[in-house]
Amino acid sequence: MSEDALNFGLSVLPGRAEERVTHEDVLRARDRLKILKTRAAKSPLRLLWLLAGPGVLVMLGENDGPSMVSYATTGATYGIGFFVPFILLTFLMAFVVQEMTVRLGVATHRGHAELIFQRFGPFWGYFAMGDLVLGNLLTLVTEFIAIQAGGLYFGLPSWLSVAIGVALVIGSLAFRRYATWERALMGLAAFNLLFIPAALLAHPSGADLAHALATWGPLPGGMGTAFLTLILANIGATVTPWMIFFQQSAVVDKGLTRSDLPQGRTDTAIGAVLAAVAAIATVVATGPLFAAHVDVSQFASGADFATALQPLIGTTGATLFALGIVEAGLVAAMTISTSSSYSLAETVSARHSLNLDFAHGRLFYGVAIVSTLLAAGIVLIPGAPLLAMTLTVNVIATLLMAPALLLLLLLANDSEIMRDLANGWWANLAGGTIVVTISVIGALYGVITVFPNLLGK
Amino acid sequence: MQYDPTLISALEPDQLAAATMRPFPRRKLGRGVLALLILLRVYIVIAIPIVVYAFVHALLAPQQ
Repeated sequence: MSEDALNFGLSVLPGRAEERVTHEDVLRARDRLKILKTRAAKSPLRLLWLLAGPGVLVMLGENDGPSMVSYATTGATYGIGFFVPFILLTFLMAFVVQEMTVRLGVATHRGHAELIFQRFGPFWGYFAMGDLVLGNLLTLVTEFIAIQAGGLYFGLPSWLSVAIGVALVIGSLAFRRYATWERALMGLAAFNLLFIPAALLAHPSGADLAHALATWGPLPGGMGTAFLTLILANIGATVTPWMIFFQQSAVVDKGLTRSDLPQGRTDTAIGAVLAAVAAIATVVATGPLFAAHVDVSQFASGADFATALQPLIGTTGATLFALGIVEAGLVAAMTISTSSSYSLAETVSARHSLNLDFAHGRLFYGVAIVSTLLAAGIVLIPGAPLLAMTLTVNVIATLLMAPALLLLLLLANDSEIMRDLANGWWANLAGGTIVVTISVIGALYGVITVFPNLLGK
Repeated sequence: MQYDPTLISALEPDQLAAATMRPFPRRKLGRGVLALLILLRVYIVIAIPIVVYAFVHALLAPQQ
């Protein structure tokens, strides 16, 4: 803070005893002033537009490269049926979990990592941060695999698509302004909806979709290990630790307050609906592969699906699908690297905001830049164990989801810091059920991944 | 840098960067929460070797 005082000529504000104002505060105050004026003008839609962002980004960010491959595998393996309503259910679960992070953010104005560190001590603080940063690094590798695979579909060499991806991710940090970064990412994340026209080009039957939603069927092949694995992969594609850390920190960085909670919730709900629609569209778009009995078990990336779909839904549909995969990897790389930055900087009490300039946010920006360069570099190493990393990402994310969710639930019940926004009985019932379900299922997924023959073939 | 006090007053006092850098006190844990956290540590002690095993196993498996 003393550095700020020197650089920005800070002083004590009347009525704000001992508080010094930083450049970060000034930028955030400008955003807040717009919000206050819009609220006074009673313009609810503009208010929602100004306050939306963290929820939409976290949900569309979670529709990342590996998640879209999971949804594509689901559509190609089971067609339109059970998984359509199931995906809706998983996004409902994601909404319940993420809503808690919005409340934590507006009630405490602290990120998730720093709250864990401060309230539960260094062991859980360092564990949560270490787990997240390592898991995020491996996940970033899988995002660059998606970017690389999408690039290959368009004939770009691996190094070029990865280099473009790195330039865009690092370039997005150059805004040094949370609001600009957020709007740029929201514009990019809108391309996640490319899966919708791709699905329409597959000419799905409206009756089949309605039947699936109404009956949770059909479920061809019954409930074997493959079905269970896809169930778990779909849950893993919807609720992950980085989402919790990212949204709470983004809510704080954006400057949301208690009075903005309704819009924060709506933002999260809109994000969940958009992401669910894009996920279901992916299942629908790959439905023709199921109808044509295409074996997708050896497909390694989204580009394989795009290539296989070309004769079935046409070049335009396949191109939209491949573009969607590139977007999925890119937006996730941006949000996930930022969640690592927030988490590490919060844990070591360093400055953490996308409103910081580079001089004051060396560690914050450094984490995102270094992790992005590392992940991109790993993807380009000839013979790198990418498959091993992809598998480990799933195991880490699912096995270690239990601690993340339990700590979230404990914090949301911490009435000393949450006051009137602490979980009520309904939130605890819904949250508790989801924590137990995801923890058990996550642990099961981890065990199945390690011991694939445990439940038989 | 000059700032406008009216502009800064758009922020709540505890939103200022200086205020957010002041840590909350450590939470006093009840028996139930303490037991949960101990269980969680046991879970982690089991989970971490599984993660390591998964990575090494996948590393040794033939690459596609």
